[in-house]
Amino acid sequence: MTGRAALPREAGVVVIGGGVIGCSIAREVTRYTPDVVVLEKEADVADGTSKANNAEVHSGIGEKHGTLKQKLNVRGNRMYEEFVEGLGVDFKRQGLLIVITPRSLPDRITGRLPIIRKRLLKELVPRLILLSGKRKGIPGQRIVEREEIFRMEPNVTREAIVGVHDPTYGLVSPYKLTIALAEHAIINGAKVFLDTEVTGVNVEGGRVKGVVTDRGEISAPIVVNAAGVFADEVADMAGAGGFKIHPRKGATLIFDKDTTTEYVRGSVAEAKLFAKKKSKGGGGMPTIEGNLQLGPTAIEVDDKNDTSISAGEIEEIFERFHYLLPDFPRRSVIAAFSGVRAPTTDEDFIIGPSEAANGFVNVAGMQSPGLASAPAVAEMVMEILRDLGVPSEHRPGFDPERPTPALFADLDRKGRERLIEEDSRHGHVVCRCEQVTEADVVNAIHGIVPATNMDAVKRRTRAGMGRCHGGFCGNRVAAIIARELGIPVTAVTKDGGESRLFAGETKRIRKGSPS
Amino acid sequence: MKKIRRPDIAVIGAGPAGLAAALAAREAGTRDVMLIERDMELGGILPQCIHDGFGSIVFGEALTGPQYAQRYIDKLSRTDIEVKLNTLVLEISPKRRVTAVNAREGIIDIQPKAIVLAMGCRERTRHQILLPGYRPAGVVNAGLAQRYINIEGLMPGRKMVILGSGDIGLIMARRVTLEGAEVAGVFELMDHPGGLTRNVVQCLNDFDIPLHLSHTVTFIHGKKRVEGVSVAEVDGEFKPKMDTERFVGCDTLLLSVGLIPENEISKKAGVELDPVTGGPVVDERMGTSVPGIFSAGNVVNVFDLVDYVSRTAQDAGRGAAEHVRKPVRRKKPVRVLPGENVKYVVPQLVRDTGGDMSLYFRVERPQRSVATQVLAGGEVISRRKAKMVRPPEMIKADISPGDLGDRGKAGPITVEVVSTEE
Repeated sequence: MTGRAALPREAGVVVIGGGVIGCSIAREVTRYTPDVVVLEKEADVADGTSKANNAEVHSGIGEKHGTLKQKLNVRGNRMYEEFVEGLGVDFKRQGLLIVITPRSLPDRITGRLPIIRKRLLKELVPRLILLSGKRKGIPGQRIVEREEIFRMEPNVTREAIVGVHDPTYGLVSPYKLTIALAEHAIINGAKVFLDTEVTGVNVEGGRVKGVVTDRGEISAPIVVNAAGVFADEVADMAGAGGFKIHPRKGATLIFDKDTTTEYVRGSVAEAKLFAKKKSKGGGGMPTIEGNLQLGPTAIEVDDKNDTSISAGEIEEIFERFHYLLPDFPRRSVIAAFSGVRAPTTDEDFIIGPSEAANGFVNVAGMQSPGLASAPAVAEMVMEILRDLGVPSEHRPGFDPERPTPALFADLDRKGRERLIEEDSRHGHVVCRCEQVTEADVVNAIHGIVPATNMDAVKRRTRAGMGRCHGGFCGNRVAAIIARELGIPVTAVTKDGGESRLFAGETKRIRKGSPS
Repeated sequence: MKKIRRPDIAVIGAGPAGLAAALAAREAGTRDVMLIERDMELGGILPQCIHDGFGSIVFGEALTGPQYAQRYIDKLSRTDIEVKLNTLVLEISPKRRVTAVNAREGIIDIQPKAIVLAMGCRERTRHQILLPGYRPAGVVNAGLAQRYINIEGLMPGRKMVILGSGDIGLIMARRVTLEGAEVAGVFELMDHPGGLTRNVVQCLNDFDIPLHLSHTVTFIHGKKRVEGVSVAEVDGEFKPKMDTERFVGCDTLLLSVGLIPENEISKKAGVELDPVTGGPVVDERMGTSVPGIFSAGNVVNVFDLVDYVSRTAQDAGRGAAEHVRKPVRRKKPVRVLPGENVKYVVPQLVRDTGGDMSLYFRVERPQRSVATQVLAGGEVISRRKAKMVRPPEMIKADISPGDLGDRGKAGPITVEVVSTEE
């Protein structure tokens, strides 16, 4: 059960937030009990920070030793194959090439001693990275000599001195993963409600009693706060706060697939040691779908919904990565977006049961490496829930497989022919850039977590995500959504809520009667 | 395994270029011509272009887009050219194997003797011009808005700002005004309009719509739906002067910021592209670098007039027909180069200097009192005076064999613009 169906009156576990963390937790809970409800205020899951990060499954090398997020990152990374098994989501452990350049040490360290500096960079820095990796439990890292860097990545700056290869680093589509986790949870009994905003948490006598939403109340003995950038506000509703999320925006540019393949083979990042910056530096890397992405930036913002990208940020991305990857194809940008990270003041994850409101569990401070840590976060939260009374035995009815409709574009010739035989609408390509068919769109609309707007269809099918960005398929996809949902096309939205595509029908505007 | 279809010529795209190319090939005697179109109807972009101004060169009268297309469609219906609608070409291999798909036949293999690429162009998006701001509903490319309004009867908004004064932007300013929407202004980065003068007069001036030259949109406001845009004047290097930034309320931003020839499948076929035009490098028969693959219309470069699209497509259709009849050994080409104040010239190569040919070119910047001239072997072989030349307008120079003589063999042909002012 999903979408806007009536809310149940009670639930065993309520998870607030349908991002990658909330859905990971919900799916984990369904291994033990089907009695879990996810509440998401947007029109789709993964519609907040989870849709707008760089899709990196970090190894943990960038995290401070001994922090909770460093531990969960290293463990989460190791768990990934098992985590995505049965979900029908691609995960690729493609490795990361960390490049050491003259900029890898800040000027305050040996800035005026060029000979010593060069030796430090060439000899010491890569060993420091290896040592740090070893201490953190990251396996398989090795030093890559300068010549090998250029064999691996011919377009990396000639100023590269030496490199470190980290084989554990992986890529996954964060929104496809989140959608899959939500659907897998639903198959196993969970309920996911969209367009449902939590406005209050009921606490009586130091015990959590349930949640209040804009669509009614649900009583529940256990409430998990996975509300991302809003986790501090939700915690305060339960009197379980005391921490502050300060939103930090990250902007990313996405490039055309064609130029990507000409330009970069794997993921590359520039080593930055002893830097003062808080969130990780990003780099140049193909997405799991094969588009080069550059970013992200890290900018403190006031507004938790500030997903804009400024001219300054765009320039900053070009400036920063122009050094690492000179001459990259500036003209072939096809998308630019921002996501908002949800760090707390001390920058670590906050995961634990509340003492003020028994049964209320905070899972807050989620920022990079949240995606990489998600499997370990879910595991850790499940342990907490066990202490709160959630069954600790695997239940026999758990279905390990999430059925996924195959996308036309992902298949080879034979697979495509089979799809068309099964459903001739697979012969009707509606998005030419990404070769998305009418049947692909219909399947997304009627999916387990239904896609009811343009962006939701895009996240599931890639329709409109290519180089023409919906110029060809926009009207076609809107018409299919309207037809399948039985609504007028003028009611179709880009991303739920007030994001209607049209003001009305022609000739009606003058009369002031939008349909 | 299904049977491979083996037509003489496959034309990819049934817009004005594809229609003209297919007809020209059939008229030149090619028997088996196949026309493949991804949309549900013929005519490409023309059915949505309900304004007039099409056909003054080809038909000597001003037609609407649908009328112009219909002339070719009527002609086509009297031929035996095989038309495949709702059919998308997935790939063309360097050996001219075409893989297409439709709902009726599934995946189709086609091995024609010659191919004409006529896929047209697409609109540049907000991201390709790196437009800052939010990503709300209501940021719409002008051509898509034209389709919404003229074909689907849907209004993208009530109050619009238009960025870019290309022809589509200008025409849409008038169109949405006629539909009862308000246009708060048209903003153009350059210091001159991007579209034809007649469109500035007929679409903006006649409707009192302000045109702000040397301006750009600096930010898109609104998280779910557009609530307005920031605009600012730009300096000589097109950088916004932030002290001139101001907010303009609107619910829609229409973008008319350029067109890009659609050559993704051309690239896979191994066709060499010209980085300046974004289209294949072609010779005077519109032949590409791959023997047997020709290209026509806006896939080669974005023309200003559909008449030129049809003309070059005829050349491509005839070229393909000739190739099917008897693949000629291709001569070593003479290069055609852009000279002073010429951005590019199409075709870029001339193989056969013994026939009539047309050179199409664009200037880099507006210039008054000029002569455009074609040089071969160091001598001027064609010269034409003009009061004014402007980048949006394509200039055509017709060359006959007598003009060229043997001079073409001596080296590259150059096209240039020279001042005639004393």
